[in-house]
Amino acid sequence: MEDYFSYTAKLFNPDEADQKPEALKGIRVLDFSHVIFGPIAARLLADYGAEVIKLELPFYGDLWRPATYWGKYWKHSNPIWHNITKNKYFLSVNLQLKESKELIYQMAKDADVVIENFAPGTADAWGIGYEKISKINPNIIFLSCSTYGQFGPMRYFPGWDLLAQGASGVLTLNGYPDTDNFYKLPDYVGDFVPGNFACLAVLMALYYRKKTGKGQYIDMAQTEGLMRTLFHYTYYSVTQKAIGRTGNVDPTMVPAAVFKTADDKFLALACATSEQFEHFALAIGRPELPSDPRFADTLERLKPENAKALHAIAVDWVRSQSLADVIRLADDKNFPAAEVADDYMIANEEWRRKRGSVVLFKDDMYGHLAIAGPSAMLSGTPSRTKWLARPLGYHNRIVLKKFLGLSEAEIEKLEKKKVVGTFDDRPGLKPPVYYDLSKDPIYNYGKEVGK
Amino acid sequence: MSPREEVYTRHGGKGGDRGKILAEMMNAEGKPEVLDDILVLDVSSANFAGIVAASFFAEFGAEVVKIEPPEGDPARRITPFGVTVQGVGIPFMFEGRNKRYMTLDVKNREEDRKTFARLASRAAVVIESFAPGEMDGWGIGYRRLAAENPGLIYIALSAYGQYTDKARESAKMPDTDITSQAGSGLPAQMGAPPNEPEPYTWPLRGGMWAGWYISGLSAALGGTVALLHRQNTGRGQMVDVAGMDAYSSMVGMPATIGFTWEKARPRIGVLDFILYPYGHWKCKDGFVAIAAPRDHDFRALLKVLGLWEQEDDWRYSSDRIPDILEQAIHLHKIIEEKTLLYTGDELVKMALNYSKKSARSKWRGGGVPIVMKLMTPEEAMQNKQWHIRKAFQEVEDEKLGKYTISSNFVKMSESPPRVKWVASEIGGDNEYIRKKYLND
Repeated sequence: MEDYFSYTAKLFNPDEADQKPEALKGIRVLDFSHVIFGPIAARLLADYGAEVIKLELPFYGDLWRPATYWGKYWKHSNPIWHNITKNKYFLSVNLQLKESKELIYQMAKDADVVIENFAPGTADAWGIGYEKISKINPNIIFLSCSTYGQFGPMRYFPGWDLLAQGASGVLTLNGYPDTDNFYKLPDYVGDFVPGNFACLAVLMALYYRKKTGKGQYIDMAQTEGLMRTLFHYTYYSVTQKAIGRTGNVDPTMVPAAVFKTADDKFLALACATSEQFEHFALAIGRPELPSDPRFADTLERLKPENAKALHAIAVDWVRSQSLADVIRLADDKNFPAAEVADDYMIANEEWRRKRGSVVLFKDDMYGHLAIAGPSAMLSGTPSRTKWLARPLGYHNRIVLKKFLGLSEAEIEKLEKKKVVGTFDDRPGLKPPVYYDLSKDPIYNYGKEVGK
Repeated sequence: MSPREEVYTRHGGKGGDRGKILAEMMNAEGKPEVLDDILVLDVSSANFAGIVAASFFAEFGAEVVKIEPPEGDPARRITPFGVTVQGVGIPFMFEGRNKRYMTLDVKNREEDRKTFARLASRAAVVIESFAPGEMDGWGIGYRRLAAENPGLIYIALSAYGQYTDKARESAKMPDTDITSQAGSGLPAQMGAPPNEPEPYTWPLRGGMWAGWYISGLSAALGGTVALLHRQNTGRGQMVDVAGMDAYSSMVGMPATIGFTWEKARPRIGVLDFILYPYGHWKCKDGFVAIAAPRDHDFRALLKVLGLWEQEDDWRYSSDRIPDILEQAIHLHKIIEEKTLLYTGDELVKMALNYSKKSARSKWRGGGVPIVMKLMTPEEAMQNKQWHIRKAFQEVEDEKLGKYTISSNFVKMSESPPRVKWVASEIGGDNEYIRKKYLND
């Protein structure tokens, strides 16, 4: 039989991914959400082939458009927003006008999924909530995202990723015991993780709808998403004690921590099982450790006093080795270890590019940008990047023409009445300065222009 | 529903049936289940990403069989400080949702591999975490199983994935949570700024299983996309999840920032690299989280804390983002001087009173400074919000007794997920599985 890795290389070949079928082709999503939590759920659907129409207000746009790291723009766009909103159609409609609502209602007729993340009750008050949309389209799958959920005494409280981290308790877990040194989880992971949960719920609802024809309402609370990932509650209910903060040490295995090497680099090393521990003991030249009564049994090894002693042995050993030597030994002797990867390493490491974990994407408007690949690789219907984020209202004309069948004259009328609109001169909203929209075929009703 | 509960589903506006829809969502019992027609085999070993992915399928109604050798999956003994109930670790109890348990030693016994293959011919999903190529070498990898069962979705979890030269070189390196966190970029973003003492400046581990839970969630999400494709076409596929991708692929920032900025971000402690104020501060009796990042929120916070004289300082009114660290730390201290004067409850009340008036007034510009008392997970369990929403659930294992779990991650009106039972006994369902699927 063919060698396994040549077989999988063909099965997953990233160069062929674009030609493979898309699992969500034909699914249409109206994305009324903003910032990260809702938009990421919509983006995941778009990555797998759904048509996602993102709705924004003219001249303002999504609050996150200008929210770039340390205010640094890239070609007048927010570089990290590309990851959050790629593959979407950007429609900008003035919700205050009656005609605008009619446009939305018309689109809702053929839509499969609607996503919103306003404060609970707001979408209904504006007439674009589940109550109204489900009357227009009874089989709609309607996802409402919020920090505390759509019902309960705290439902109206506004929220951010920070507050979900605070309300679930996860914020207090990242740091050192008996000190004030603790930190929130970085990069708004309190939006991204619940956003992925929300997408999973929508996928389940799509599966159910195909079986029964029925749509449904989904209430995704981001705090509950984070709570689902903490076994700390169960630990407390069993022991009446808290796990608390444990610094750089993972208390569920030993050794398991972030260590400093002889060449002043950082790595994580762990032994989850007795077998891995034996491999580690051999690798560090201490083959007697696994038969030491303190360390022989996994549960015995994990007891705080024994774990502390073993952790100290690991600290000393790693401090005497170079990073490269530890990683090489781990590869040879089969125990888990990894260098602490930073932004630059992740963007540039060769294996990530070859795997498709990081994709150097060539975009028609922005040129090359390194963008994260999917967190699960599918051999049959892979996730893919088709285009990056676009200026505010970039797809107005093509959406109205292709999806609603309006004529160019009708669209011009809507533009004059300011039912639909676009960007002003602010970065994050407008196209790159070198880009000529008048020659852009998509912006111009899908016509070939000036070629 | 009690009249008290009714209050918590009521929303403003012109009547409508929103309250009724929400009230009906408070309970999952008796409603249909999404995956009640599929079989999932979880043969993962010492890997909670696999166990977590299997849990999500089980919560949505799939028949999930955890397959392990007679001595049990080593994951049973991966537990904080070695704490177990009768030998079963806390994380394993937490994830023991709606599952069946069968003993098969696929690693060592040829006969058990055959039994596994027979089960897999009837399964929709297989989840495994052996070294890439190992199952294939035993004749029960994706190639073989898919030849028998073309609709099979085969989810493989590992450190570096199932393809590329790197995957081949590091195939034998096991996947754990902390190496997944480190290799995918989380600790590099967490820790004290460079001017503070060691070890606080070191890259810091996330205090939850961020690597394993992200991999597990990604596996379930990819697997469900594959289930939809199978529903439409009858075809299965392979799903490859690498622990070294987990964090960076989920949040996306490291790849793009590393590329556009051509260097790595430093660690900046309690500051945020996009929003300010957005973090936690010490107060009289503990800590509060404060989020007031938009300009009008920030101005509102200055008023609430009696700091209005700072408003015309250009460094803070228009350039709060901490690319100049000293400046950001200075502002952080100015705010801290004020928060230290009040208790957490007082600060929450002050912000809330301002926000309420702000929401009703056209003069206050809509500024909504949010202040919240920080909670530990144990304190969070006492919050009334989660009682009303049944976010925590007391469950009872036949052998291990009663304990509490955080329940499902979402509420759905037609086909919600739910926890029907918890169980953990090794081989507890051997007979059930053999009768139902193997006609033994």
